[in-house]
Amino acid sequence: MLADNNINSYLLVGAVLFVCGVICMATKRNGIGVLMGVELVLNGANVNFVAFSKFTRLGLDGQVFSLFVIVLAAAEAAVALAIALNFYNNHLTIDVDRASKLRG
Amino acid sequence: MVFSQLIEKLIQETTTSSLPYFGAELCLSVTIVLMLLVRLFNADRWLPAYLVAVLGAFAALWCTYSQSAQLNSGSVSDSQTFFGGMLIQDLFSVYFRVFLSLFVLLTIALTALTGIPDIEDGPDFYSLLLGSTIGMMLMASANNLLILFLGIEMTSVPSYAMVGFLKGRKTSSEAALKYVVYGAGAAGVMLYGISLLAGVLGTTDMSLLAVRLSEAAGGQTAGLADPEIRAVTLGVLLVMVGLAFKLSLVPFHFWCPDAFEGASAEVAGFLSVASKAGAFALLVRFCSALSGAAGTEDLLMAFGVSLGVIACITATFGNLAAYNQNNLKRLLAYSTIAHAGYMLMAVSAMMVMQNSGHAQLYQVDIQKSVEGLLYYLAVYLFMNLGAFAVIALARNYTFSEEIDSVKGLISQSPVLCISMMVCMFSLVGIPPFGGFFAKLMIFAAALKAGEIHWFMYVVVAIGGLNTVLSLFYYIRVLKTMFLDERPAQSRAVPIRLFSWEGSFVAVLALLVLLLGTLPRLMSGLSATANAAAHAVVSQL
Repeated sequence: MLADNNINSYLLVGAVLFVCGVICMATKRNGIGVLMGVELVLNGANVNFVAFSKFTRLGLDGQVFSLFVIVLAAAEAAVALAIALNFYNNHLTIDVDRASKLRG
Repeated sequence: MVFSQLIEKLIQETTTSSLPYFGAELCLSVTIVLMLLVRLFNADRWLPAYLVAVLGAFAALWCTYSQSAQLNSGSVSDSQTFFGGMLIQDLFSVYFRVFLSLFVLLTIALTALTGIPDIEDGPDFYSLLLGSTIGMMLMASANNLLILFLGIEMTSVPSYAMVGFLKGRKTSSEAALKYVVYGAGAAGVMLYGISLLAGVLGTTDMSLLAVRLSEAAGGQTAGLADPEIRAVTLGVLLVMVGLAFKLSLVPFHFWCPDAFEGASAEVAGFLSVASKAGAFALLVRFCSALSGAAGTEDLLMAFGVSLGVIACITATFGNLAAYNQNNLKRLLAYSTIAHAGYMLMAVSAMMVMQNSGHAQLYQVDIQKSVEGLLYYLAVYLFMNLGAFAVIALARNYTFSEEIDSVKGLISQSPVLCISMMVCMFSLVGIPPFGGFFAKLMIFAAALKAGEIHWFMYVVVAIGGLNTVLSLFYYIRVLKTMFLDERPAQSRAVPIRLFSWEGSFVAVLALLVLLLGTLPRLMSGLSATANAAAHAVVSQL
């Protein structure tokens, strides 16, 4: 299955998106930037699902999975942005490094 | 088959089997809609949201109770998949549904007593609470990787909002931001893992995972030299990141103390018990779905042992970090981390025994380890909710959650102090409280697994050592409550035994005590837990 040459390029795109997303999550100080990283990771996984559903016996399950993920990503982004806005209202910044009242 | 026949079959399957099995979740969903409708028609002035929520939770409890009666009487088969194989109905999922609906009922009662969501915000808060509970129920009955992911997300997204529910508080918004950033990141990483797992094994059905895994190994002993096995291993590791985040296991525990300190004590109590329970249900399902296929024993044995390593690190870290905490919620957050470590020991023992190559021989002991986990969760429900309830109730009078705010509380409110003492002694694991027997069952299972792999003896030793370690920081809180003098300028906490608040915590503490002293209750619970464990383990 994996020896099939066609799938590898798709998986590579997915992997690059995933790594970019993880780097973005780890290095961005801006809360919105971190959330953008999360979106990259989710879409990297989506590319994987669609590629697997085309080339392996996973079949349509993969495409259904990616549809669900798109909807969930929207729901999560809505809640996350609301929380970021709430944080901004209280702190006048969305720099995650400034979130340092709770520690110990 | 023509299209219309397919539709007919779907409708028939949905109405005859799927919807009745989905009763508890449907009850909660209807309650959410009802609550929002009540506010829409301005009826919330005379019908508070918590009443509607209590009714809904009670309906869900009744629904699952009748399901369990049906399963126990043997009128339906032991385990059945429904909604096209997405979910599974067996005693294990029913056990967790009963557990979760009972817990959400108690949480709603606590919030009604402390009044943390005011009348205006009530419907919002309870919608989030019940929505999150539906997610946990889905986690407990997941039979598909899609439901695994959806369940985790359905649990997490409302929890993020609940943590940030105290509007205008800097700490609350900070806690919510940290929780959502870590949580979304962990969910994304987990999804990538699921994509690898599903893609390489060619299925999202969890009951097929083990078979496909042994196919991928190609009849030989699976090793990391094989690229497919390597991809699957990476996938499993990434899925474990997501689960470890929900369980607050050690490398992924950062959010837990911050989120608990920033959130209100009621929400922290809910998260510490319910979301742990859901995640453990999912972990057990996922682990037993993977294990048992020929050729993969070595790999999965290593997986089980590494779970044991993580369990040891988590328990030790949680107990050590709890020492110098001054905030009660933060202290209990670290204690929650430690308890997740103890409970993970049971899963590790299960994995080691299932993949020893003689799973049939150890069938009884595998069941015993899952039984120990389920018993622990049941006791943990009462003792942890009790501890958080005491904090929440005292906070309503002292306006503080620092340890110093409960100094000498015994002189003003003996019932709170004695309940706290029972809960904390049970958290330590001192006989005759429920926590002792729960810990004993888990350690016994790990000891049995030691026959297969020597490391499980180390796990038991570290678990025992941790029990002693944890004694000191719990004792510190109790010493402050019982022996110190109440400062003259501190606010009074006039909670008597015969008040709603006092009797609520007293009942919780009594249950913790009875779960360790009343043999009939204990054997009943452990028999139920054993039947539930049998349902999930016997699927091999």
